[in-house]
Amino acid sequence: MRYCNWRQGSLMLGALFAHAAFAAMVTVNVTLKSGPAAEDTVIVFDPLGVAPPASSETASIDQINKRFVPRVSVVRTGTSITFPNSDQIRHQVYSFSPAKEFTLKLYAGSPKVAVVFDKPGLVVLGCNIHDSMVAFVGVVDSPYFAKTSPSGTAVLNLPAGRYRLRVWHPNLAATVPAKEIAVQDTPLTIALSIDAATASDAVAPWP
Amino acid sequence: MPLRTRIALTFILLLAAVLAAALGAVSMANRGNAEREVQRQLVAGSREFSHLLESNRRQLIQAAQAVAADYGFREAVSIRDTPTLASALENSGARIGAAMMVLTTLDGEVIAASGSNAKVGAQFLISGAGKNGGAGDNAMSVMVDTGRIYQLVTVAVRSPLPVAWVTAGFELDEKAAREFAEITGLAVTLSVNSGGRWTDIVSTDSLGTLHHPDVVSRRIEMSSLGNTKVVAVLSRSLADARAPFERLTNVLFLIAAVSLVGSACAAFWLARNITRPLQDLTRAVARMRAGVYDAPLKVMRRDELGILAEGLQLMQTAVQSRDRSIRQLAYEDTLTGLMNRTAFGAALNEALTEVNRGPVAVAVINLDRFRRINEHLGYSVGDAVLTKIAARLAAVPSVNSAAARLAGDQFAAFTRLHDGANLQAWGTSLLAALADPVYVEAQPIDISATIGLALAPDGAAFADELMRCADLALERARREKRPLAVYEEALKPVARDQLSLLGELRHAVEHDEFLLFFQPKIELLSNRVAGAEVLLRWQHPVRGLLSPGAFIPFAEQTGFIRRLTQWTLDHAIAQAAEWHRAGKAVSVAVNISADDIGDLRLDSRVARLLSRHQLPPPLLTLEVTESGFIEDPIRALRILDALAALGVNLSIDDFGTGYSSLSHLARMPVHELKIDRSFVNGLETDLEFSAIVRSAIEMGHSLGLKVVAEGIETEAAGVRLRDFGCDIGQGYLYAKPMPRADFEMWLDGKVRVPVIAVPVTFGVDAAADTITLSTY
Repeated sequence: MRYCNWRQGSLMLGALFAHAAFAAMVTVNVTLKSGPAAEDTVIVFDPLGVAPPASSETASIDQINKRFVPRVSVVRTGTSITFPNSDQIRHQVYSFSPAKEFTLKLYAGSPKVAVVFDKPGLVVLGCNIHDSMVAFVGVVDSPYFAKTSPSGTAVLNLPAGRYRLRVWHPNLAATVPAKEIAVQDTPLTIALSIDAATASDAVAPWP
Repeated sequence: MPLRTRIALTFILLLAAVLAAALGAVSMANRGNAEREVQRQLVAGSREFSHLLESNRRQLIQAAQAVAADYGFREAVSIRDTPTLASALENSGARIGAAMMVLTTLDGEVIAASGSNAKVGAQFLISGAGKNGGAGDNAMSVMVDTGRIYQLVTVAVRSPLPVAWVTAGFELDEKAAREFAEITGLAVTLSVNSGGRWTDIVSTDSLGTLHHPDVVSRRIEMSSLGNTKVVAVLSRSLADARAPFERLTNVLFLIAAVSLVGSACAAFWLARNITRPLQDLTRAVARMRAGVYDAPLKVMRRDELGILAEGLQLMQTAVQSRDRSIRQLAYEDTLTGLMNRTAFGAALNEALTEVNRGPVAVAVINLDRFRRINEHLGYSVGDAVLTKIAARLAAVPSVNSAAARLAGDQFAAFTRLHDGANLQAWGTSLLAALADPVYVEAQPIDISATIGLALAPDGAAFADELMRCADLALERARREKRPLAVYEEALKPVARDQLSLLGELRHAVEHDEFLLFFQPKIELLSNRVAGAEVLLRWQHPVRGLLSPGAFIPFAEQTGFIRRLTQWTLDHAIAQAAEWHRAGKAVSVAVNISADDIGDLRLDSRVARLLSRHQLPPPLLTLEVTESGFIEDPIRALRILDALAALGVNLSIDDFGTGYSSLSHLARMPVHELKIDRSFVNGLETDLEFSAIVRSAIEMGHSLGLKVVAEGIETEAAGVRLRDFGCDIGQGYLYAKPMPRADFEMWLDGKVRVPVIAVPVTFGVDAAADTITLSTY
C-alpha cells in the first residue's frame, strides 16, 4: 500500500477555530503503517505562488562514533554546512549526489571550509573509509520545513495561505505524492501514515 | 608314506589352507572396500566441489568488492563514464583471472561489461536486483551463456548507498574441471538442462562412461535459473577404484605362492633334518642287532634326536658290556679265570684249523688227591689251590694262556709244537711247573699232577676227539700210577669205537659172549686148593678172545661195569652152585669194581643170586679193590657190612696200590688181603718190596685176616711168601686162568680145602632156609 491517508476531517475542524489569526500552528504527526512513530521524517511546505527569499544560513553535521549526527537534515538552498569531526579517527566526507557533489579531504577536527548546498534536492553523504556512515541532507527552497521528533511529530508556524506538502523519509518504500494544503488562521493538525521498508539499502527518491 | 613326506605334506596343506582363507578374505574385503572407497571419494569430492565453488566465490567477491569500493570507480559510476568503467572492470577481472565482469544498474541494465557478450543498456541475466529477482549482495549464482557455464558473484556499488551492481564470474571450463578432477580423483561432468534436455557442457570423462553400470556417480545441483538447470556430476569407475586393490590382491597372491614354495622347501628340509638322523639311528640299531657295538652313533645334535642318539650310545655300551660278561660267563671259568671246556674246545678247534704251523699238543691235567685238600683244609683252601695252579699253568710260556679248567681238579692246556717228538718233554715241563708246593696262607701244600698227553694227528682233527685221546692217556697214567702218559695208536680203535664198543658189550651180555676163566688159589702151607678167582674173557665174534684189559676199563668208565659184574656174579654163583651140588665145592672169588661199591642194592642182588642158585654164601668171595674204598669210605663200609652179613667172604684186592687208611682197614668186615702183584714181582730183587710184603702179611695176620699173594710166577717167590707166612698164593707158578672144563680137569687131581658150613639167612626175597654144607 504505497500511499498516504490524509485525515481531512481534523483539517477542516482546525480551520473553524483559526480564521481570525495571521498565521496558524500546523502540527504534523507521522506514523509508520506498522504502528510506531516515524522519526526523522522530512516535512516540507512549499508556498504556492510566492517565491521565497534567498538565504545564506549555516548548519553543521557532526561525526560522532562513526555516525553522522544528525543522520537526517533539512536546509534551505544556499546553506553552508560545516562537518566537524568529533571522533579521534579521521573521516573523508563525500557525496556523489547530483544536488551537491563534493569531497572533503581526509581530516580530523573541524574542517577549514564549509560546503554550500546551493541546489535543491537530496544529497546523500558518505565517508569514503567508513561505508556504514550515511547521512541525508534535504535541500529545499521553501523556508517552511521540519523534521519529525522521536515521537513522529513536527510543529510549524505557517502563515495562512496555500502550500504544497512534501513528505520524505530515508526508508520510505515509495514516493509520497505531494499534496496541497490550505492554511487558515486556525491551528491545523495533519496525521500521516507512511510505508517504510525496514532494512533496505534503497533510498527513497527525493519528492 | 615315509615320515618325511608326511611331515612336509602336513605343513604345506596347512599353510595352503591358511593362505587360501586369508586371500579369500582379503579379496572379498577389497571388493567391498573398493565400493566403499568410491562412495567415500564421491562424498569427499562433492564436499571438495563445494569448497572449490566457495573458494571461487570468495575470490570473486574480493575482486568485485575491490572494484566496487574503489572511489574512482564509484566516481566513474556516478558520472556514467562507460569506457572508464569498462577498462576498470577489465583490469580488476584480469587481476583474479575472472572470465567476466559486468556492471549494471540496480535495475539490471548493463552499464559496462568486460569479457561478456552483454550489451550496454541491455538487461543482464543476473544481477543484484532486477526483473529476474535479485541474487542479492555477495550472492553467488551460476549462469549459462552461449554454451558456457559461469560461476557469478554480485556485489553492490555503494556511494554510500547501493547505486549499481558489479558481477564477476569465473568460467567453469574444461581446465577447471580437470584441475578439480586431478585433486579429487573423480570425473567431473557439468550438465545443463535446457528445455527439458540435458546437455553435457564440460566433462573430464572423455570416454563418456558416465552411464556405464560400473560407474558410481553423485549429482550436485548447482543452480536453477529461469528455465536452465545446472548440475555437476562426480563419477568414478568402480573398475578404476578396484585396480589398486586388485594389484594388492595380486601381490598377496604372489607372496602366498612364494611363501608356499618357500615353506614347502623348508618343510622338506626340516623333515629331512628329522628323518635323516632317524635313519642313521635305525642303521646303528641294525648294526647293534647284528652284534657290532663299536660303531659310534654319529648324531651330533642338541635336540631330542641328539638325546635319543646319546641314549642309544649308552645303551650300546651297556649291551656291549653285558654281552662281554655273558661271554665271560659262558666261556670262562669263574673261579680261575681260565677258559672253560666250551671255550677251550673252540680255541683248540681254531688252532687245529691252522695245520701248517706245526702239530698241536693237548694235555689233560688232573691234580692228585685234590679231594683230600677240600676235605681236610676246606673248600676255600681248595679254591685257592685251584686258582694258583691255574695261574701257574697259564704262565707256562709254551701254553701261552691256552689253558682251561675242565671240571673240579681237572685242567687242560694245548700248545703248538715244532716237532711231535717234543710231546713228552712238553708234558714234563708242565709237571715241573706244577711241582712246587702251593702256599696258601703261608702253609705249603704239596700238589702233584697226572697228565695225559695227545698229539693231533696229521690232517684234520677235532678238539673233542683230541681231548678224548688225552683223557684216555690220563686214564692210563692213573691206572699205571705214572705221572704222565702219552696217547698211543693202540688205544685208538678202542677210543675211536667207544660207542660201538658199548653196543657190542651190551650185545655180549645179552648173548652170553663172555666166558668165565678160573685161576686157582693155593693154600701155601698145605698146597691144597683154597678156591678160584673168576676171571672174565670175551669171546668176541670178530676179534676173538679178549682179556679184561681190552674192555674192563671202558666198562668202568661208562658205568657198564655194573651189568658186567651182575653177569659175572650170576654165572660164577651158578657154576659154584653146580660144583657144590656135584659134591665138588670150590670157593669162587669174583672181582667187584669200585663202581659196584656205589650200588646200594649190591647186597640184595648178591643175596638174590645166592638164593636163586642155592649156593652157600661162604663159597663166594667178593674181591674189592682198595680204590673202591677211597671214594667214599663210609658208604663202602656200609655196603661191605651188608655183604658180610650175607655170610660171603670179602677180600681187599690190589692191596698196597691205593692209599687206604689202615684205620679204615681195621674196621672193614673183610676176611683177606690180596697183596698187589707189583710187590710180588719185585719180591726177589728188591729188598724194600720184600720188607713191604712181609709187613703187609704180618699186619693182615694181626688184623685176623688171611693174606693172599697173586702174580706168583717163580718157585723162589712162592717159597719166600710161604716163609713170610702168606696164607694163599695165586699165579702161573701154580696154574694159569683156565676155562671151566680145563679147571675141572685140573681140579680133579687136587685136594680142596674144606668149606665150613655155616647157617645163613638170605634176604627177604630169598627162601629162608638153612643150608647144611657137606664137608670134604
